[in-house]
Amino acid sequence: MVALIAVASMVPGLLAGLQSSGIDYDAVAYRTGVILTEDPGWPGWPVYPPWEMKDQYHKDEIERMGLAVSNETPNILLSTKIEKFFNDTFFTTDDYRSKAIFGEIPYSYNITLRSLDGRYNHKVGQETPEGYGYIRRVVKIKEPSVAVIDGSLKERYTISPGDNSTTRTFTVRLDFSRLLNASIDPAYRIDPLTEPVNITITNFSEYLNKTDETVKNATLKSVTFRRGSSSIRFPFPYDTENPDLYTLSLDGNPYDLKPEAPVESNISLVLKPPATSLFPLDQNSILDIRFTFENDPPHTNITGIHYYDYNPKNVTRPALKPAVLEVAIW
Amino acid sequence: MACMNEDGQWIVLMGLLVAVGLFFLALIINQSALVGQTTAEGVLEFPKNDIRDLRSEILDYYSRYERINNHGDLDDVKDDIVRISLERKNAVVHFWNGTPEEITIHYNNGVTVYDETVYHY
Amino acid sequence: MVNDSGQLYTMEGIAAGLVMLLTAYLILSTTSIYTPGDTHIPDMQLEQLGSDVLAMMDTPDTHGATSALETYVNTNNSTDFKTAFLGYCNAKAIGTDTLHMSANVTYRGDDDQIKEHLLVEPDETWTGRESAVRVTRWVQLDKQTSQMRPYGSRPRAVLVEVLLWRA
Repeated sequence: MVALIAVASMVPGLLAGLQSSGIDYDAVAYRTGVILTEDPGWPGWPVYPPWEMKDQYHKDEIERMGLAVSNETPNILLSTKIEKFFNDTFFTTDDYRSKAIFGEIPYSYNITLRSLDGRYNHKVGQETPEGYGYIRRVVKIKEPSVAVIDGSLKERYTISPGDNSTTRTFTVRLDFSRLLNASIDPAYRIDPLTEPVNITITNFSEYLNKTDETVKNATLKSVTFRRGSSSIRFPFPYDTENPDLYTLSLDGNPYDLKPEAPVESNISLVLKPPATSLFPLDQNSILDIRFTFENDPPHTNITGIHYYDYNPKNVTRPALKPAVLEVAIW
Repeated sequence: MACMNEDGQWIVLMGLLVAVGLFFLALIINQSALVGQTTAEGVLEFPKNDIRDLRSEILDYYSRYERINNHGDLDDVKDDIVRISLERKNAVVHFWNGTPEEITIHYNNGVTVYDETVYHY
Repeated sequence: MVNDSGQLYTMEGIAAGLVMLLTAYLILSTTSIYTPGDTHIPDMQLEQLGSDVLAMMDTPDTHGATSALETYVNTNNSTDFKTAFLGYCNAKAIGTDTLHMSANVTYRGDDDQIKEHLLVEPDETWTGRESAVRVTRWVQLDKQTSQMRPYGSRPRAVLVEVLLWRA
């Protein structure tokens, strides 16, 4: 009789076990949502390099993947982190489980990010079933800045008459002490160490030497990187093309950093953070990106230093893009 | 039947009562795993967004210090924040600045207490 | 002398005991049923979403600009505020959601009374019985020279409260 009573009293315990894992999914989804939107990840600021710059061989050093710009700017996501996170050829299902979702049970997941204007439409994970734990977060995406040098800046960047040298150099200067200014909110800061640096020269025909009618283009000999005004060049594989480090395109065609090719209308250089991290730079360094044009006689009159700073005439910082992030767990 | 022995019945009845009592206790202990706050209630109760919002509002107030001070309304705006917090958010808020950049914030909504000293440019 | 009536008593007692146990079990086990509403999960999801939307509306898109929320409150622009808010709330990766909102602004008037001003009226889906969630955001208003807003002209801090429900 007592044994029967004891057995009867254990039966609710059996039923209790079945209920709790179903309630869990929403909690896990909420936690993953917080990690993705409010956490910059680890290793993240102040540790450098951050997790999105780890390559295949250092993938195990990533402890937690978060998409926020910093822990002071919740719900503002960094575009480089987004591109890295949604790269499911780099990360496996186990990586997502151990670095974003956590927990002992191997949950199935589906994480999507869509910007309201449609430019970002990323998805990672399996197809959702009928019932699942869910959370939706509204975020804004911070995109990298662009320095656009078009024909309107011609007066600033033309040589003074009487200059007879055959090489023309045009420099874009990144002064880190001015850029990494702590009084600017991280959501609007320009940080070349974690975001790509984009330099676009358009309407290049305006900078050509117009005195000679046959001149239709100028030859870009090389793009070099220097620290400050010293002549020490950074050790860098200048003649290998590596899209993870940089992209240089002249009139739409990709080249390496020693193109020695003619350019007619535009030059676009995107220097990615893994490249910037190869240079020994600190918060007070100055990085010069030097475009050298060489023709005899010179085909272009471009010269000068363009400062990559917070002046809106020098650098365009795109507006923050609203987006919606959804996490489903089952 | 005076000679009928009723002690056995008492013992059986008592035994049954004890069994029911044990059963009740076992059930309570079993259910205690589910009783208590669920995760969602815990999230709802912790005023994460309220504190973040209040903090950014106070820092904003100090950023606009000169603008507000020009019209002598510093205390008014501060009173706004304190009074509305008390009435609508059920929270006691107190903040002040030591040196111009050092701001101290105190928040207490009855369940959560938050104190912070911030150095703001 | 062996009497059968004692056995009948015992059996009756055991049967009564079993009935008591069964009743107790039935009553106590029904209290352990958790419905999704008890766990407040939908409330939590909605509140997090609403807070996010207000926070994003209060973040200026470019450095140094005024946030959209401050502009809407300053100009008392009910329709644009509602469109912007619902645009954010109902956006999903695929399709749209069906959330509705109403908003009011709590301010301290010049006479030191805490007053409320209705910014967005609830629409026809509001019956008063929905499980709605309230999310709030502080807004700092500068000194206003024109008379467009109903809060008074001095710089003030106001609280925007939004009620959000699913219909």
